[in-house]
Amino acid sequence: MPFLEIIFNILVIGLFVVYWTVAFIILYHLTRFGIGIQPKRFAAIFMLGSLVLSSVAIILFTKLEISAFLTQMSQ
Amino acid sequence: MIRSLFSIFRESTNSFEGQKDDENIVLLLRRHPFTIYIRIGFYVLASLVPIVAGVMFYSYLSIHGRFDVFFFLSSIWYLGLWLAVFHSLTLYTLNTVLITDRRIIDSDQHGLFNRETSELHSNRIQDVSTHTNGMIETFLQFGDVTVQTAASEKQFVFHQVPRPDKVKDVIMQMTASKHTGVKAVVQ
Repeated sequence: MPFLEIIFNILVIGLFVVYWTVAFIILYHLTRFGIGIQPKRFAAIFMLGSLVLSSVAIILFTKLEISAFLTQMSQ
Repeated sequence: MIRSLFSIFRESTNSFEGQKDDENIVLLLRRHPFTIYIRIGFYVLASLVPIVAGVMFYSYLSIHGRFDVFFFLSSIWYLGLWLAVFHSLTLYTLNTVLITDRRIIDSDQHGLFNRETSELHSNRIQDVSTHTNGMIETFLQFGDVTVQTAASEKQFVFHQVPRPDKVKDVIMQMTASKHTGVKAVVQ
């Protein structure tokens, strides 16, 4: 696996880790400090949306032909 | 079982951390939804960026067969946008003013790790005033409520709360009942 491809994969994995860390913080704040129904609803919607969007992003990432793209870019 | 699990999204007792046993919440205030609609509007516009980019670079993408990269980058964009939307909604939701039958608790969430909580007991309230500024605030009925305590202490300002006149009346009723000992009836 070429060096650039490894860097790209690490960057994408790092991006997902950052995303889910911030998502956890938001979910924690909404459920821990939120008063009333509204924060719980927001937390549920956010969780559901995050799961769907992350799944879509992961599927698209697996279908990505990054080596071909990087070769094309370098030419 | 499932019914009771989902009941937290339908009914809640509005309880909060540090609530006394016989303390009742009279009003739970947040900023007027209009303030968050403006931000949401900006995010809606930002969500159009990949669509516009896709239309603009359609020929380039189809010639080079790089739709996989485009769709992946778009999904990352929408993930970031989703996070930004709920970051704003979290700050909006956690910015609250709680008026109980004993005190007023003003919680200002400036950032996820930047929170300021102020508390004011009903018997220290001296004066309450409202300020509605501009056409939008007048039509949508929201504005600032200022609660003045003893002269040497700071003012409490609740920004852009809905129906400030009603809030003022409730606070005045709570203060009066605290001084007279007669329980206030909030409508």
